[in-house]
Amino acid sequence: MDFRSDIFYIRQVQEGKINAFSHLVDRHKDKAYNLAFRICANREEAEEIAQDAFIKAYRSLNNFRMKSSFATWLYRIVYNTAISLVRSRKNKILALEEFPADAVDFLSSCTSQDEAVEEYRSSLVNFAMQKISEDDRGLITLYYYNDLDMEEISKITGISRSNIKVKLYRARRKMAEIIEKNENKIVSYHG
Amino acid sequence: MDKQEKYDEDLLKTFLNPDRIEKAPEGFTSKTLARIQIEKQSAGLTRSFRGKYLVPLVSLAVCAALIIVSVVLPVNDPGPADSVIWRYLQNPGISLPALNNDFLQNLKVPGWIPYSFIGFFLLMFFDRILFGIFNKQGK
Repeated sequence: MDFRSDIFYIRQVQEGKINAFSHLVDRHKDKAYNLAFRICANREEAEEIAQDAFIKAYRSLNNFRMKSSFATWLYRIVYNTAISLVRSRKNKILALEEFPADAVDFLSSCTSQDEAVEEYRSSLVNFAMQKISEDDRGLITLYYYNDLDMEEISKITGISRSNIKVKLYRARRKMAEIIEKNENKIVSYHG
Repeated sequence: MDKQEKYDEDLLKTFLNPDRIEKAPEGFTSKTLARIQIEKQSAGLTRSFRGKYLVPLVSLAVCAALIIVSVVLPVNDPGPADSVIWRYLQNPGISLPALNNDFLQNLKVPGWIPYSFIGFFLLMFFDRILFGIFNKQGK
């Protein structure tokens, strides 16, 4: 376990030790990748976005004034890059109208009930995420997965705190409706 | 927070758990660092190109432009180039003390001086080439 702070590694990189940057990448890669993936819903693009974000961060690290945390700064780059990419897409990814009725069929290949529930929930979350706008997906991810408070989310997205509250409320309601509607299928499947 | 909001919040917290994030693919860190290394090297090359060749190239361009101007523009009949700028250049209206260059005309330079200058520039030229070759090998 690495207990050294981000600032320690940032200073090392600023002194020219490029390998110190690998510690920062290791520490933040999963959340950065997850944020990109939740917004753009494509694994290859998410990897590209997350890598680009780390490279941009590396390039600008000498100008990093430590006014915000490295994570906040990095997520801002990821968020903006992913949102721009989704908006510039010529061919929008079409989300399914309804959660597929046969979604429980593939669960028979799962080795345990817990694994099946996890798989089903993951598919359901991905489906519900596609039903909200790209910036709402970003807000939901930052709030739930990255566990950030409104202040930090506001710094990352540039959206005011009051607006974030409203947007989160609506996105949450919409996702909850979809999840509620479909979560009983897994219960009845194993019931 | 009302009842509905609390219910939605709890439901989403169950489904969107920080422990269940999509993890970055295998080899993500090494790929990212490799891209950084490549970018650093290419940035270094661009910088060294600029550092080595930019000044001589700009000087060459300025010299070429001056030579072309001196060849193209006639001395007595400026013709279409009889512009405000040309007229200004003919008589810039700046008062400077006249330079006394009589001492240059009366200067008696020994015959070996021009040869030493040529030798000096040749040595500098070869030094530059050899430095470039050995510096590259050293890297």
